[in-house]
Formats: sequence, C-alpha cells, structure tokens
Amino acid sequence: MVQITTDNSYGTWRFCAWNGMIFMGVFIIFWGIMGHNVPPYGGDLEASVIANYFRDNANLVRLGMAISMTFAVSYAVWGISIGKVMDYILGRDHILTNLQVWGAGLTVVPILVSSSFWLTGSYRPEALPDEILQLLYDMAWLLIDLAYSVTSVQMIALGAGGLRDKRAQPFFPKWVCWYSIWVGFMFIAEILMPMFKSGAFARQGILNFWIEFMIFFIYAPIITFYQLKAIKRIEAGEPAA
Amino acid sequence: MSDEQSALHQTGRAPGDPGVWFFIIADMAMFAIFFLIFMAGRHEAPELYRASQAHLDTRFGLANTLILLTSGACMAKAVMMARAGDGAITLRYLLLTLAIGLLFGISKVMEYRAKFAAGIAINTNEFFGYYFAFTGIHFLHWIIGCGVLIVLIRRVRRSGVNAENINWIESGGTYWHMVDLLWVMLFAMIYLLPPGGAA
Repeated sequence: MVQITTDNSYGTWRFCAWNGMIFMGVFIIFWGIMGHNVPPYGGDLEASVIANYFRDNANLVRLGMAISMTFAVSYAVWGISIGKVMDYILGRDHILTNLQVWGAGLTVVPILVSSSFWLTGSYRPEALPDEILQLLYDMAWLLIDLAYSVTSVQMIALGAGGLRDKRAQPFFPKWVCWYSIWVGFMFIAEILMPMFKSGAFARQGILNFWIEFMIFFIYAPIITFYQLKAIKRIEAGEPAA
Repeated sequence: MSDEQSALHQTGRAPGDPGVWFFIIADMAMFAIFFLIFMAGRHEAPELYRASQAHLDTRFGLANTLILLTSGACMAKAVMMARAGDGAITLRYLLLTLAIGLLFGISKVMEYRAKFAAGIAINTNEFFGYYFAFTGIHFLHWIIGCGVLIVLIRRVRRSGVNAENINWIESGGTYWHMVDLLWVMLFAMIYLLPPGGAA
C-alpha cells in the first residue's frame, strides 16, 4: 500500500471540511441578509438609493461585512481539506489537487476585498457624496462577480480530479464531479454582468444573481457531504487509489 | 445493425459516460431558463423584439444550422464506425466533423462583425442583449466542443478505437449533439419566431 501522508489528524480534516458549511452559513447570514445583498440593489438605481442604503443600515452593514471578512478564510480551509481527500484519489502533489487548493485559496481574496468596499461605504456614509457610495457599491459587486474564474479553477479541478477515481465506489460520485465542472463552467455567465444594468444578466437579475448564487450555495453542502464520507473511509483504513 | 450497435441497443444504456449526461442535462436546463427569459421579454415588448429581429440575417442562422447538423451527422457516423471497430474511418469522420464544425465559428464571427459594423452591440436594447448573451454562451460551448473533438482525434490517432476511446467518442459525440440541438432552438427562437405571433 502506498502511504500518501503521515498526517492522521482526521478530526482536524473533518473540522476543516465543516469550514465549507461555516463559510456558507456566514456568507448567507452576514454578507447576504445583514449586508442587504440578497438580492442586491439594482444597477439601474439612482445613486441616492444606494447612498441611503449605506446611511440607513450602516451598523448592520459594518457588522455583516466585518464578520464576512473574518470568516472568508474558511473557504480556503475547506479547500485544503478537500485537497487531503484528493491526495487519496490522485496521489500526493498532483497538479489537479494543487489547482483545487489554490482556486479555493484565491477565492478568499475577492470576498475579502469586495467586503472591504461595502465596509468602507458603511464606515462614514454621512460624510460621503452619493456618487462615491454608489461607486463603492458598484466596485464591490463588479469584483465579487467578475472574480468567478478563481472559484471556477477550484471547481473544475475538483471535478476533473474526482473523475479519475478508479474505486468501485469513488469518493465523489461521477454526477458530483460533473456538477462541479458544470458549476465552474456556468459561472462564465458572470462575464456579461458589466454590460447590463437591468434584466436577467444584471447583478440583481435572475441569471446573474438568483441562479448563479443558488448553484454556488448548494455546491458546498454537496461537496462537504461526500468529503466527510471520504474522510470516514480514509480513517477506516481505505487505501489510496 | 452491427453487433456493437445491437449489443448497445440490448443493454439499453445511454451512449457515453453517464456522468456526461448529468452535465448535459444541467446545461440544457440552464438554456431552458434562457429560453423562458427570452420568451417572457418577447411577450412584454413584442414591438421592440419585432423591430430588432428584422436586423438579424436569417441566412447566417440557416447556414449555421446546416453546418452544425452536417457536422453532427459526421459525428454520428464516427460513433458508429468506432463501435464497428474501424479506427481509420472513425478518424476520418472525426476530422470531417471538426472541419465542418469550424465553419460555424467563421460564420459566427462574420455575423457578429456585421452587427458591430451596423452599430448593434450587446447594450443596444434588451433583444440584442439576449441575442449576444445567449449566442455568445452557445459559442463558448462550440469552442469547448472543438477542443473535445481535437482530444478525440488525438486519442484515436494514438490508440485506435479501444473500449475506453469508444466511451470517449460517445461522450464527446453526445456533447457535440447538444451543441447542435441548442443552436437549433436558438435559431428558431431568436431568428424565426414572430414576436407576438403576428406579422
């Protein structure tokens, strides 16, 4: 049997795996609900509407974004734990595992930076003109949407890696791998977002927001479920592929 | 019917890797949502859609349809030849599939250039927003399909039509047919369907 790693701290693996769900929970509650981002204010709204959002909800947005920034790193922690399972599929230091880990790690950056724009807008909104607050809001949304490709790298690498699992019962079922590739690929629709201020592809639109974010929100629970099952099998002594 | 086809028919399995079908169904579900959005927009503003549709060149749409259907027919022949175990003919049909398929890209670029030259862009109005968005996303599918065909050609050149490659060819063929099917739907909906049902 090929020894993949001497690291048998499976409890830590499991804790890191749960970070995917921690990230999603925090993201939905603090970034989404508390930050008034579900759904976003439309790209076609007047600057005064965006300015009033910051002024009327300053404390909520500050708290929401501060917590979001604190927990953004959970996404990277989750990705590293997925990498541990991928080691057992692909062998140590495989390029697809590295791509998955880096993709998850880099996903943290746009979440951190865009959250900091919302936080900046809410920091002293009474002292800033409406157009500056609108600019910050636009910057935040443009960054968080258009940085999709780093997360696509994680998802496509995970799917491609999982498909190489030759076990009779693979750690990640084939449909999960293809789902991962599909989600990573379909994020490309985000590229259309800067062209629209209203309609389905605008930041508040049915495609750009509701569908793209929904498939992202259900991605982490699906992957985490199979990841935890895989860790259990590895802990029980299942050899590397 | 060859022995291979007969065996396939008897097993009742879908061609290619079952996982690929998940991708295809998910992708087609996404396009179904695109179609619903377009139809809803068309229902809301029939005049805008009618006036905008008049700027589309149906000849490009028809040419693209014929190109993709012909290319798809070659792909189907490639799958049949692969199942029959004829590597040389399979390779020839795969090359033909790619060569004809590439014409779609040329035609699409010409069509987009004509639109830009006429001052029509993605932000001209809602109709053209959807026209560029949906055909653009479809165009990306076509680019990936060409990449898949190149992979299939390389695999058949390297190792012929073994069981693994037949699975690859069936999976790639299924994807390529999806590219055909989505285009046929886009062509009918964007280029042909009269908004509001009236002339």
